[in-house]
Amino acid sequence: MSSGKRRVVITGMGAVTPLGHSVDTMFQAQLEGRSGVGPISRFDARTFPTTFAAEVKSFNLGVWFKDTGPWRNCGVNSQFAAGAAHQALESSGLVGLISSGKVRTDRFGIYLGSGEGIQDFNNLMWETAQAYDPSSRSLNYPVFCRGARESFHAEAEEEQELHSTAYHLASHFGLEGPNYNCLTACAASAQALGEALDLIRYGDADMVLAGGAHSMIHPFGVTGFNLLTALSTNNANPQGASRPFDRERDGFVLAEGAGMLVLEELEHARSRGAKIHAELTGYFSTADAFRVTDSHPEGRGAIACIAGALQDAGLNPQDIGYINAHGTSTQVNDRVESLAIKHVFGENAKMVPCSSIKSMMGHLIAAAGAVELITCVEAMRLGVLPPTMNYENPDPECDLDYVPNQARNATVDHCLSNSFGFGGQNTSLVVSRFAG
Amino acid sequence: MAPSKRRAVITGAGAISAVSDTPGDLWQAWRDGRSGIKPISLFDTSGLPVKIAGEITDFDAKNYIDKKDRKQLRMMARTIQLAVACSQKTLEHSKIDKAKLDKTRFGVIFGASLIASELPELADAAHKSATRVRGQMNLGTWGREGIAVIQPLWMLRYLPNMLACQVSILHDAQGPNNSITQDDVAGLLAVGETLRIMRRNHGDFFLVGGGDSRINPLSLSRQSLFLPLARRSEDVHLACRPFDVSREGLVLGEGCGVLAIEDLGHAQARGASIIAEVAGFGSAFDRRRDGDGMARAITTALAQSGAPASEVDHVNACGYGTPCEDILESHGIQLAFGDFKVPVTTLKACTGHTGAGSGTLELIAAAECLARGEVPAAPHHRQTDPKCPVNVITGSPRKLQKPYVVKTGFTREGQCAAVVLRRWDG
Repeated sequence: MSSGKRRVVITGMGAVTPLGHSVDTMFQAQLEGRSGVGPISRFDARTFPTTFAAEVKSFNLGVWFKDTGPWRNCGVNSQFAAGAAHQALESSGLVGLISSGKVRTDRFGIYLGSGEGIQDFNNLMWETAQAYDPSSRSLNYPVFCRGARESFHAEAEEEQELHSTAYHLASHFGLEGPNYNCLTACAASAQALGEALDLIRYGDADMVLAGGAHSMIHPFGVTGFNLLTALSTNNANPQGASRPFDRERDGFVLAEGAGMLVLEELEHARSRGAKIHAELTGYFSTADAFRVTDSHPEGRGAIACIAGALQDAGLNPQDIGYINAHGTSTQVNDRVESLAIKHVFGENAKMVPCSSIKSMMGHLIAAAGAVELITCVEAMRLGVLPPTMNYENPDPECDLDYVPNQARNATVDHCLSNSFGFGGQNTSLVVSRFAG
Repeated sequence: MAPSKRRAVITGAGAISAVSDTPGDLWQAWRDGRSGIKPISLFDTSGLPVKIAGEITDFDAKNYIDKKDRKQLRMMARTIQLAVACSQKTLEHSKIDKAKLDKTRFGVIFGASLIASELPELADAAHKSATRVRGQMNLGTWGREGIAVIQPLWMLRYLPNMLACQVSILHDAQGPNNSITQDDVAGLLAVGETLRIMRRNHGDFFLVGGGDSRINPLSLSRQSLFLPLARRSEDVHLACRPFDVSREGLVLGEGCGVLAIEDLGHAQARGASIIAEVAGFGSAFDRRRDGDGMARAITTALAQSGAPASEVDHVNACGYGTPCEDILESHGIQLAFGDFKVPVTTLKACTGHTGAGSGTLELIAAAECLARGEVPAAPHHRQTDPKCPVNVITGSPRKLQKPYVVKTGFTREGQCAAVVLRRWDG
């Protein structure tokens, strides 16, 4: 590790996912190969091209908050974030220190990669229909505006704004340092973690709550991804639909949830005797600069990104013991990601276990990178790698060790986690066993 | 704290707003006290309580983009078109030779906010699926017949990361790419992130911007429910008057500001002309809404720049023009500068509040002040509210006296940032 930069460790983690509402339950479910996928219950999706998703089930903020009032008007994205952030901060041991004034809250920032709140589909589309004259294909805007202003709920509309979640967390938990949210599609929370690492490394903050929350399981979300033909339409077998790297894969499975981590400067963590879960050692981000719809076919951006993150961590490819793949189960992503890994890892590529938890949890979109980094930390800590489920038909273009269908014991010191977003943003993170 | 001493300079800018197509236009309109706030002409606003905005009339992205790239514009909502048009202007202004640029060290960092769907795209699907009961849609029909009549790439036209993505695609910018979505402070946060990326040596040349357009039926229906908007319909050029005792509220505008921010050595090696140096940045959360967070953002930015408060010529304030927010900002400025009564000016009376575009547009205006040696007054400001303890520049423009300017920005929820610019003396 190069000198001059401060070291950054993970001292708290929290998760709200389709496979459970804590890091432990989520990771255990992954090891058992369970699926969080089922029919969509949030709205009537029975006639949609895709009728299933991985929803967060039996969600109850009362588990973590005595008074859930402050969160009541928030969107589910902010509520998921609140649950995960509470877990992360409680487990870090910082909550008491914040309330007793023993840590500097001005040195405690937030960097989220969280998504938008859910649009009011029913009212928005109904008012649009009222204002529409199909014979002239024209909209009467005064009719729309009057109707929309009557039927929209002011607070719910305001909560959709993209800076709301970071505001609510900062306000509730009393974090007064730098406050950021980025939204780079499926790379967002990974990129947020990387930029949070940078804030601490160079002294802009000592602690950062970082991660993401998102739900696109709503009529517009499923409509949008269906139109892009990005979602699996394997309605006959929802739990077998997400099959990263399998030849028969036909798209990703939409999921929702949140993952939050407390990143902390090493000496700060040590001086308060904090439990250190792992060290965040590498980050890099690039752009494909190719097309909004497709990854670069030769993985140009992904290769530079993975190589950059290894270099940032001061590691060689052979140091990496596990890759948590972006592995969305789309034809293009899985082929290009495999290609990029082979390019960077060379002869070693087939020796490095590389799995996709999206096979079980689906794709949490903006929140995916954060729960995947948490998964890496747990895999290292417990010495067992989560499998890629539903892997049945080898694809000649995807020929790495995907840890098929069964968890595997392994001692790992360094993990790589990839996240690639629609539009071409690539982020790779490296997390390492904390070696003192 | 920073281990590397890389210096960041502004070598180009583009500023598309209600009063400008270039940074020069923007500064001149500001100096002349010319307001772009006018009755909205883009659509019929008779169903809304607010009928004025800083609208860009006659914006046509085709006029800015290479012929070969024009078909891409169909994939972009107006906000994204503003971003690609403005980025094109910035690149031209910077005189960068893209062929000589290391594309892997060419980054694009943008501020953005929600982009409203254009309703005609969804109207057929909505019409097929609406029931007779108010607010009730038939999702069965939507799934069977509605989805099929929407354009396949519909969603990609509205994703907030598409400003930065489309710009990176048009210019082959393969370096760091981020979209910071912190509403009105997003653009300044993007500038701060760019400084950090340069500090860790992951890039040499960046397009750093912010863009926003909320002048459409859906955005205005939504925003008029929760934003404290000025509702004046006469003498509308007077609607936005930050820090004035008779200020009435926020006036929305639309616009985009994009800066070329470059490593000093890189800029000098290619003989670039330098507009100003980006010398410091700070950000903080103002939890109690009393100006403490704003003050910490300013103090951090000044410390990073090495400038004592007494060397600051003026503050280019965010200046919402709303009753509450101007008080918070005034207290923040007062806290940061103490007894030193730093002069304060604002641009918003000219452009309206351009949301995620405001930080970079106003930063460009501030950089122009440093380059031209003259600071326009806050247009239409008459009498400072005693609850806003700031020294507002009024009347005629003031000669620049000191080498630094501080630009502030924040969200109504208290997410604050400040950028310090230094005059470039060669």
